[in-house]
Amino acid sequence: MIREAFVLPLTFLTVTLVGGIRVADRIVLVPPPLFSLVLAFLLLGLLVRSGALAPERLMNGARSPLQNAGGAVILLTAFVAAAQAFNAAIPEAGLPRLLFSVFLFVLLVNTSAAAPDRVRVLRSMLVIFGSAFILKFIILAALSDPAGGWLKRTLLAMLEGLTLGTLSQEPYRPVTGYVAFAALALFIGSLALLPARQTTALTRTS
Amino acid sequence: MRESLLRSIGLALAAAYAFFIGWLYIRQPQTVAEMTGAMSASIGVYQVDETAFADGLRLFRASQFEASRLAFDRADRAHQDPRTQFYIAYSYYRQGWGRVYNDDVLFQRGLEAIDRAIAAAPNGRIVVEDRDLQMRSGDELKAELQAGLRREASDFNPLKVFRQRK
Repeated sequence: MIREAFVLPLTFLTVTLVGGIRVADRIVLVPPPLFSLVLAFLLLGLLVRSGALAPERLMNGARSPLQNAGGAVILLTAFVAAAQAFNAAIPEAGLPRLLFSVFLFVLLVNTSAAAPDRVRVLRSMLVIFGSAFILKFIILAALSDPAGGWLKRTLLAMLEGLTLGTLSQEPYRPVTGYVAFAALALFIGSLALLPARQTTALTRTS
Repeated sequence: MRESLLRSIGLALAAAYAFFIGWLYIRQPQTVAEMTGAMSASIGVYQVDETAFADGLRLFRASQFEASRLAFDRADRAHQDPRTQFYIAYSYYRQGWGRVYNDDVLFQRGLEAIDRAIAAAPNGRIVVEDRDLQMRSGDELKAELQAGLRREASDFNPLKVFRQRK
């Protein structure tokens, strides 16, 4: 009950708050773009299909109006938090933004088509958000770093002939990466806490 | 009974937190002072430091614009007082104004300050009764700053050197 009334809504709202923080010369709170909403919708659909989220356990006719209102808040905050998690993981502009968006869309559709169970879906989310984080906050951030470093030199050597103008992003302070990491970790953790579909064990009688 | 109470508290907390997050995303505060100032302004209890404001006004009238802005910033740490932001914008205008050309950087900062003043003023209307100023409304000052930033053929009119600073 505590998890449903306090833990889940408040952690999802914290992801919503933290997922949009970008620290450069000034602090900017970036609302989720429209495509993040589409991806969030797909993600929630995937969670329901896999049984990682059982909306019928949050809202049904047998529950009191207060309990149903609490369930609706969880679903709503989970949706907004998912949108902000994608907002944190997707680059801000240019070709990387387009590529990441398409990549994540295809990954979600593909995972949905594979009809995985709850554990596999949560593992898949960990891989999806983890790899997006590494690409955005380590690889792309290194390429966009005006000072440069060994990673940038290595990547430039690997990407010989490619114009960096299509890849480079607005350089953020390192704290942005830490904040995004915290938001994504909190989001994945919260997904694992969602009420899952209850399976009934079948026993053979002879 | 206890469960209903806990669930109600949870819903109220979530609603308040969601409202706070929405407010933060709309107002985009840059510092903790701006955040607390904007929150207190939204409930009508924000106050400027009148001593610092008086210092700023004295320095502004003595044409010490950079020093006046330091005092005005101290008076209105949260950038929520329309009158103080108006004077900050005016100081940028007077400092950036030139007989031959204006300083675009200072004019741009003045425009940002007057936008803050207009955003903080009730119904976006700001009028400062100060006999030392030729422009006493936010609209006049904003129009003057915008005109100063525009590139026009009249900029090359040699008679422009005879115009007066407001």
